[in-house]
Amino acid sequence: MVEPGTASGAPSGSATSNAGPTVGSTEGSILTTNQWRDDPPAVEVVGITKRYGQVSACDSVDLVFHRGQIHGVLGENGAGKSTLMKILIGLVVPDAGQVIIDGKPSVITDPIDAAEKGIGMVHQHFSVVNALTVWENVALGDQMRLNPEAIRDEIGDLSRHYGLDIEPNAVVGTLTAGLRQRVEIIKCLRRSPRTVILDEPTSVLSPGESEILFEGLRRAVEDEGMAIALVSHKLDEILGATDLVTIMRRGKVVAHQKTSDSDAAGLARAMVGRPVALRSEREVPSSETDSPKRRPTKPKQEHASLEIDSVHANGDDGRVLLDGLDLKVYRGEIVGLAGVEGNGQRPLADLLSSLMSLASGSVRVDGKPIACGRAGAMAKAGISVIPEDRHDSGCVLEMSVAENLFLADPNLVARRGILDHRKMTYRAERLIERFAISCEGPDAPMWSLSGGNQQRVVLAREMAHHPRVLVAAQPTRGLDVGAIEYMSEQLRQAAAAGVAVLLISTELDEILDLASRLVVLSKGRIVGEMSREAVDIERLGLMMGGAVP
Amino acid sequence: MGAIWDIIGNEVTYSSAMRFAVLLLFAASGEWVAERAGTLNISVEGMILAGAFGSAVSYDITGSIPLAILMGAFCGFLVSTIQANLSHRLPADQFVVGLTINILILGLVGFLDNVIEPSVDKASQATIPGLASIPVIGPALFDQPWPLYLVYPLVPAVWWLVYRTRWGLEVRASGEDPNSADVSGIRVNKRRRQTIYLTGLTSGLGGAYLVFGAVGAFADSIVGGRGFIAIAAVIFGGWTLKGSVAGCLLFGAVVSFRLSLPDQGYDGINTEFLTALPYIVTIVGMAAFAHRVRPPAALAKPFLRGLD
Repeated sequence: MVEPGTASGAPSGSATSNAGPTVGSTEGSILTTNQWRDDPPAVEVVGITKRYGQVSACDSVDLVFHRGQIHGVLGENGAGKSTLMKILIGLVVPDAGQVIIDGKPSVITDPIDAAEKGIGMVHQHFSVVNALTVWENVALGDQMRLNPEAIRDEIGDLSRHYGLDIEPNAVVGTLTAGLRQRVEIIKCLRRSPRTVILDEPTSVLSPGESEILFEGLRRAVEDEGMAIALVSHKLDEILGATDLVTIMRRGKVVAHQKTSDSDAAGLARAMVGRPVALRSEREVPSSETDSPKRRPTKPKQEHASLEIDSVHANGDDGRVLLDGLDLKVYRGEIVGLAGVEGNGQRPLADLLSSLMSLASGSVRVDGKPIACGRAGAMAKAGISVIPEDRHDSGCVLEMSVAENLFLADPNLVARRGILDHRKMTYRAERLIERFAISCEGPDAPMWSLSGGNQQRVVLAREMAHHPRVLVAAQPTRGLDVGAIEYMSEQLRQAAAAGVAVLLISTELDEILDLASRLVVLSKGRIVGEMSREAVDIERLGLMMGGAVP
Repeated sequence: MGAIWDIIGNEVTYSSAMRFAVLLLFAASGEWVAERAGTLNISVEGMILAGAFGSAVSYDITGSIPLAILMGAFCGFLVSTIQANLSHRLPADQFVVGLTINILILGLVGFLDNVIEPSVDKASQATIPGLASIPVIGPALFDQPWPLYLVYPLVPAVWWLVYRTRWGLEVRASGEDPNSADVSGIRVNKRRRQTIYLTGLTSGLGGAYLVFGAVGAFADSIVGGRGFIAIAAVIFGGWTLKGSVAGCLLFGAVVSFRLSLPDQGYDGINTEFLTALPYIVTIVGMAAFAHRVRPPAALAKPFLRGLD
């Protein structure tokens, strides 16, 4: 009875199959859903709160995952969905709230404990070991004696049952991303979980692979009453594969509805939607009250400082990182690069920091081509980058403020390779004053500064080169309101002084606040562009969600 | 050139090559497992020396070689507990710990050797009938002091442990992808500690073999950097057991070559150069092979939960 439903259960079809496209399966799927209705919910979270510093990753979240349903959890980066899932498998300990499994309040201590309580997770970044074979990976973590034959047989059974075909003796590293994920899913299903969490499962899959995945999941849900939590930011995926959808925003559940009652535009609005935002009137797109200072004037697009031309780049594992990315940034403008994290932001920033070589394409500054990937080439051509992670690649915490200021170009304060300490102190003092860096002086260790002031040091260092192009990657992440305001003002001033500013940010608010032009990055390419005046939030959300309108 | 042919055709050369190679084999078989788990303990040198000295003292007291060999393994194990617990329970840097241990053991043994001055005998020759009369390699493999034969079961046992047991699977996963192993419920640092204990045991055995099987005497300079050559043999062998064994045999052959040349009456080659030969071959071998092989992905990278 279930079979016809699953046969049509391709992602595009299964949403409608709940509404009943096939004769007979309408009743069937409702019955299958009802079959477990009397059981206690597979997992229930009540009032879960998790704070990191002043930021609430989860703010008293209530959510129920029922048996026999695929439950979509939709949200932007930082909406709190990943944190919530990490709490469910014991990787993160919540500050407050309760997890109730099968009606029993439970404390989950670690992933093993979660597995024993029937919760399994398929991670976004796979947790399979590439150097091992498929069966070895599946066996990893078992407590009994190693029996390769039995494990290979089990893999065969699971493959047939869920339609997830795999060769048990293949070395995982040689498999495609889709098959690697299949290994992970089989590993998860082998422990017969009652609840499975899938974190952005299709981010590395081709459309065909995604389709097969959801067919298999639908089978697990309908045949065995499994509860599946599908964490995603892709609208079509949520619409195609889920029964219920919960939308999270800024750590809170903002909407909870049946998928059959939803449409892409509505979901996009709820996901990035302004109505609940804390932003004031001036940022409303159509507002006429914007002060000229706030609203970046649209610069004349006559001189492209930065030209990126059909750039392709692959990762070490063969994954496509940049896929024909085209981008121009003109003198004096701030271009906001919007997009969900992991769609090529990091590779692009790496490229512009000379940290990555290209498969094809070119980068030009003021018309002059740059040797991509050669150390220092980008900086020499006048591209300054405020890196995404200031601790990782922005500054050296153990060194002093002055040393950090001249780290990138010690020749500014050195003669014939010998540092002129007096000159360094003098110039550092001037930079400290100009950028209002609050510290004990040039010799203060970097770690003694607050995050906002560390970021100012990075900014001061980059601006000291008089760049032609300034790339700011997530420049305000983790900063407080005042520091954010300062950073924003500095970027505006840089643009006003004629620098071409590329703002890479996953915070849509920040982009809307600063940029005069928006481009949307998805899967390593620019999928859309709009000017700040003509911004259309709904279309933006659709583009970010991978559903190009 | 005639000298080289004399040496290659000479059974004595192979016998002495084997004797040198076996010390490396003992140490490298344990070190190979440890490196597959992702830990590089350069304290192998100290473990061998501790094993050698411990067994020498034990023989001096008890007069029993089997007991002395057991004691040697135990002393190697003792040293490994320091390495393992400092670098994989406490977050001390494994290289700093290893280096410190090597210096500490060398000083300690030098001091104690002066105080105790253990006297040692060589273990008796054991000829395996039939096999020993295979031409050229027969005497090298089957007509040797008996402690040498301990290495024959050790190598396959280590292979079986790594490739055929759950423990071995978890060891390999820990060396390749500790985060994934952790998520799968494997205690990465515990497995790494265990592989270091194993290295301690085999290196200690190697030390005892060195005293009773190869030299028949003890001096604090007895190990002379061979612990490092054992590590080099594992790298040389591309982190496969087969390759590591080949590396040990090659390095053993080079040492024997150096000793044989003057014995054969050829003194045209500078002896200092010959002394340096094994180390030159090590460096050339590493340079030639190091880039062609893939080390365990997490080799020498400490694992702390929550850090990627």
